[in-house]
Amino acid sequence: MTQARLTELEQLISRVAIGDRTAFDALYDATSAKLHAVCLSVLKDRPEAEETLQEVYIRVWQSAARYASNGLSPMTWLITIARNRAIDRLRSRSARPATAPEDAAATVPSSEPSPETATILAQERRMLHECLAQLGGPQAGAVRAVYLEGVTYADLAAREGMPINTVRSWLRRSLLRLKDCVTQ
Amino acid sequence: MTDNALTPHEEDEALAAEVALGLLDGAEAQDAVARLSQDPQFAQLVRDWQERLAGLADDLTPVMAPARARQGIRERLGHAQAPLARDPNERSSWWRGPWGALLGTLAVAATVAVLWLPGQQPVTGPGYQAELVAQDMALRVAAQVYGRQMQFLMQSGGAAEGRDLEIWWIEPDGTPPISMGVLPRGGDMRMTLPDGMEPSDRIRIALSDEPAGGSPTGQATGPVVAIAELTRL
Repeated sequence: MTQARLTELEQLISRVAIGDRTAFDALYDATSAKLHAVCLSVLKDRPEAEETLQEVYIRVWQSAARYASNGLSPMTWLITIARNRAIDRLRSRSARPATAPEDAAATVPSSEPSPETATILAQERRMLHECLAQLGGPQAGAVRAVYLEGVTYADLAAREGMPINTVRSWLRRSLLRLKDCVTQ
Repeated sequence: MTDNALTPHEEDEALAAEVALGLLDGAEAQDAVARLSQDPQFAQLVRDWQERLAGLADDLTPVMAPARARQGIRERLGHAQAPLARDPNERSSWWRGPWGALLGTLAVAATVAVLWLPGQQPVTGPGYQAELVAQDMALRVAAQVYGRQMQFLMQSGGAAEGRDLEIWWIEPDGTPPISMGVLPRGGDMRMTLPDGMEPSDRIRIALSDEPAGGSPTGQATGPVVAIAELTRL
């Protein structure tokens, strides 16, 4: 993503924050196909993903005013909302109670300087893919499944035939290694 | 859970990753969320994870949602009435002032442009078309692009019973096809191309035969029944 596009999305969100419907339409045009893909990836069901996408943009409209202070890049903020709403719905399907992820971190004001520049973001994205490759197949697969499909520790434990605590230690260590690699 | 082998700093990092991923349950989840508002450094760790992990979504192929999704959002936010939900003879006052009249004129002009230009020869800007033809289904669909507007016109045939035809946008560089949604049964379809989808004569458009509602995975699962390149008008 170029710096110009990053700035364009930030400007659209700031106009949405003051109730600009034209900006909201333009933001939808520019981002809805990606957010729909996020919802589909988690839910694997067209009607549910479409319904969730609507909830996502309603939330975007309602919470755009708080975006500027949270320090996330615009696509991260949007993808995080889409992923969290989709996982919320995924988990409400099953009888097993599980806590949905929180948008809370995205609403706590940040003291960090503004979203990172496109260059830094692009570099970290490249690193992420390299570092996942270095992590090893099962670990990288688990991180992807948790993020893109909303898989839980209980799901991973069942899938790997291991106790939940063992799976948890294993994934936590994978995540720490991933972070060390990306930020090195 | 505390993992004895982790340092306190690693413990915080792992916990922040778990919050960002939504992996925590029950009291542990509540405690971590409460900590977000009291511990700005911890909240920043969570945001750093959100930023880092969002890169995983790069791997996902964009899938355009059907137009009714946007209409649903507008209706739920009160930005638009359902089609024909409003009496066209009912008068409201916002457009009576001079600005309203001007805006109204512009809105009418824009609507007329959008509604009428595609059906005729393009007046300005590049235009493209593709003829999608599947012999065995007697299917014929015309795809047309004017500027950033794209439309699909069902000319004959249609999806089999219980199936739908999904439209795909195929870039020349070998990246996975982008779903443009499901062709409405017996109806035409119009959309605005999102950023990143630039029409050119190297783009191919395909129709695949999919379960009702379209591919459940976002990738084509059924056979491609028609494919054609965009050609410049």
